[in-house]
Amino acid sequence: MARYTIQRFVYMAITLLIIATVTFFLMKLLPGSPLQNQEKLTPEQKALILKEYGLDKPVPVQYVQYLGNLLQGDLGVSFQYDNRPVTELIGDRIGPSAQLGFQAIVFGTLVGLVLGIFAAIRHNRWGDYAATVIAVIGISVPSFVLAGFLQYFIGVKLQWLPVAFWEGFKYTIMPTLALSVGVIANIARFMRTEMLEVLSSDYILTARAKGISNAGVVVKHAIRNSLIPVITILGPMAVNLMTGTLVIEKIFAVPGLGEQFVRSIELNDYPVIMGTTLFYSALLIFVIFIVDILYGIVDPRIRLAGGKK
Amino acid sequence: MAKQQYDQLSPEWFQPAPPNVGEQEKINRPSLTFWHDAWLRLRENKAAIVGLIMIIILALLAIFAPMASERSYKEQNLSHAKLPPKVPVLEHISWLNLDGKDSNGVDVYKERGIKEYYWFGTDDLGRDLWVRTWYGTRISLYIGLLAAVIDLFIGIAYGGISGYYGGRVDNMMQRIIEILNGIPYLIVVILFILILEPGIMSITLAMVITGWTTMARIVRGQILKLKNMEYVLAARTLGAPNSRLIFKHLIPNVMGPIIITTMFTIPSAIFTEAFLSFIGLGIRPPEASLGSLVNEGYKSIQTYPHLIIIPSIVISLLILSFNLVADGLRDALDPKMRK
Repeated sequence: MARYTIQRFVYMAITLLIIATVTFFLMKLLPGSPLQNQEKLTPEQKALILKEYGLDKPVPVQYVQYLGNLLQGDLGVSFQYDNRPVTELIGDRIGPSAQLGFQAIVFGTLVGLVLGIFAAIRHNRWGDYAATVIAVIGISVPSFVLAGFLQYFIGVKLQWLPVAFWEGFKYTIMPTLALSVGVIANIARFMRTEMLEVLSSDYILTARAKGISNAGVVVKHAIRNSLIPVITILGPMAVNLMTGTLVIEKIFAVPGLGEQFVRSIELNDYPVIMGTTLFYSALLIFVIFIVDILYGIVDPRIRLAGGKK
Repeated sequence: MAKQQYDQLSPEWFQPAPPNVGEQEKINRPSLTFWHDAWLRLRENKAAIVGLIMIIILALLAIFAPMASERSYKEQNLSHAKLPPKVPVLEHISWLNLDGKDSNGVDVYKERGIKEYYWFGTDDLGRDLWVRTWYGTRISLYIGLLAAVIDLFIGIAYGGISGYYGGRVDNMMQRIIEILNGIPYLIVVILFILILEPGIMSITLAMVITGWTTMARIVRGQILKLKNMEYVLAARTLGAPNSRLIFKHLIPNVMGPIIITTMFTIPSAIFTEAFLSFIGLGIRPPEASLGSLVNEGYKSIQTYPHLIIIPSIVISLLILSFNLVADGLRDALDPKMRK
């Protein structure tokens, strides 16, 4: 297990290093420099500013410095927000995004599991078909379309919930719903397939033969064993949630990281784009790392295959 | 009476029939190939067939609707701006809201004296939404097709070589995939957009770099399993070169999983393009994509809801149909489903 963990950790580090390196050299390629109004500056002033930003040194030295800064959590400063450090901007905005993501994943996972289990128990009956239809629609309708319809019908027409902004729990309900539909659909589909496979396996037949009640078989044997592979889709789901927050926060005017990210793209605020990109990559790669480790713990075949070479 | 009849039966009539060799072994019904069998099962699946028909209709509209219209997707006509949809014949069915009346019930066409029909209405610059929607659908279909081609060429070649040769080559190639897999697609797109312009080129390149890893993994897994089979050994003994073994013997046997994976790649690629265009990283106006049309529609969701509703329905239908067909194909091609 230790060997497997170390192996996964090394991959995580290499991937992050590659992303950081590509990011750095792209920044070097981009037009523009921190020197605004260049004509008015004397050569001495220019040299001073370049020194301040560390741009007077050769590129390889700058690269090492950049990596050092990254390790200390320094992602540079914004062009558009009064030279504020990118780390600070991310810190300000992460709260609502994290809350939304957390609510969506908890709500979505619970509903998705119930739906998937229900569909499997009612296999090939109308309950199964209904759940399958809900899941297919949930996967097919993009979150930005769904969010619009929720906003229009629940917010504007029925006026049950506030249309946008972020001023309390009531304001989080619609964005959470819009974000969790994808999670619900994915988990439900996955859980249904797993449950069906487990329900047709021999040890379930044995349990039934021993006279355990139907409910007992489902709760004690089937659900537990079906839950294990669900861990594997947590990684792709984290990616989904991240892309989801970008559009959902934009639509519902939530002051989160995604909303800021989309705005920096519109404003060409490169340091913020790159900083946030790095932050998102690090987050996702970390989630994938954790999922790999978890899966290695629950399924010994994975870590044996990984550590054998 | 019955007994009499029996009495008339003579034992001589009951001779053992001569064994006609071959007759018993004859197969009367034509044998089904794997593909024929799969097609029979797919045909049973109503949802998949509905999806297939919808894809064909949407594709035909996307190809021919912009050609057939005399207006282009970027032609502006400010005097015709913000018109609600109006369709001949259907305009008389009031609940469809295709009668050219805006949300206050005013017939805008009559008010401004416009004789033409805009089937999907127009946007705030007077561009025809009918043409723009189908133009956007073209882009979605192009992206779907591109994703499939990348999967089929790069994915299969990479996975095939990696699985077939094994050893050090496989090891190296798998390490590269693991690193590529760790880099989220969105980040690759953003990196490309910073060097190039936002648009179809950046999306295409990002897809070429990251879009094929799932396929490569699946093909590799299957090839690893198949390459030690006896029929491969037999072909090798007969002197078949590696390329023939890979393309004639191994790939056709992996075709099932390949098709399923491709079919699931298409809707997710279409979704990704729409999503990128929605947040402003993909296709930008005056070009039209379903994602950017939905984004523009948000600006006037209360006053001109048709601007958001129509592209939303088209993109949802498109992704839904591909998902339905993919689901159907998976059930039809997966040997585990045969019962």
